[in-house]
Amino acid sequence: MKISKKIIDNLKKGGVDFYLSVPCKLLANMIDILENDKDVYYSAVPREEEGMGICAGAYLGNKFPCIMMQNTGIGNSVNAIVSLLQLYQMPVVFLISYRGTPGEPVGAQGGMAKITEDILQTLRIPMLHCSSEKELDKISIFSKHGKVVESPVAILCDFNLMKDDK
Amino acid sequence: MNRFDLLNKVQNILKDNLVICNIGLPSQELYKISDQPNFFYMLGSMGLSSSIGLGLALSQNKHVISIDGDGSVLMNMNTLATIGNRAPSNYTLLIIDNGSYGSTGDQRTFTDEKTCLKDVALGAGCKNVVECSGEETVNELNKAIDDKDNSYVIISKINSGNVKTDPIPLNPITIRDRFRKFIGKVKYL
Repeated sequence: MKISKKIIDNLKKGGVDFYLSVPCKLLANMIDILENDKDVYYSAVPREEEGMGICAGAYLGNKFPCIMMQNTGIGNSVNAIVSLLQLYQMPVVFLISYRGTPGEPVGAQGGMAKITEDILQTLRIPMLHCSSEKELDKISIFSKHGKVVESPVAILCDFNLMKDDK
Repeated sequence: MNRFDLLNKVQNILKDNLVICNIGLPSQELYKISDQPNFFYMLGSMGLSSSIGLGLALSQNKHVISIDGDGSVLMNMNTLATIGNRAPSNYTLLIIDNGSYGSTGDQRTFTDEKTCLKDVALGAGCKNVVECSGEETVNELNKAIDDKDNSYVIISKINSGNVKTDPIPLNPITIRDRFRKFIGKVKYL
């Protein structure tokens, strides 16, 4: 719970006040925290691409949105990221559980893990890769950076960082 | 009645609300009829008009109308479940259902075969789902906006067919900034 709490605290400190998620086991604690947080909006959504649309609308309404998802969700959302969020320069934070990184027990997750950073790089999305607790301190300033440059930004949280966050 | 006729009929209602308008001919026809700062024209991301409008309705109090098409809803059908469970009362989804992919040459969609979007929306949890003719749409839209306790999904059944239009000549940042300024939460411009 300590890691999850630190991530949410830092996102909130960075100004993020609207949260969506497509669930992941590694995001479960954060979802619990957000479901009980009266200060911010939180909802689950069925699919990441749809979530990109909802985040775009929330930004138009002057919120600073975040969508939490597995890295597989980036694959589901490429067109929405490019032809909506980037076309209209909309800041959205992607909080990504980085499945398929070392520690991952499900071999099939390795495929998307191998290309996740390449996709984000191709899309010119700034990345913050968190593999240890220390790096979580950068989340608030990194989120603010997304708002300043009016761009989606991606925070990748490694499997081993999240797995023992009981 | 085709889409252009319908948009002409509802334009006076649209002027007083925040409008998210679907990519392609719906946006181009609306722009041709009347360009307003409170119209957000989609230039990409087919399928997401309903979702953008939902996020906007959840974030501020003004009434939001998402203008969508049958082809686009078929592409993002999970949106109806999210709307059914989460849409606030300041949200109306207007699906212009002409049974065809108008922007790409009027190929038939599944709503011209077996799929009934009204049944899908009801099954997805949307409570106030209205299927009506183009003529009845003005009345149904007014009812939806006047009801301060419920969100609505209106499926307007019309004929296919388009008018000649040009691409929207506005750049995306202009569309974004004047729309956000209209809402009144940003000071710049």
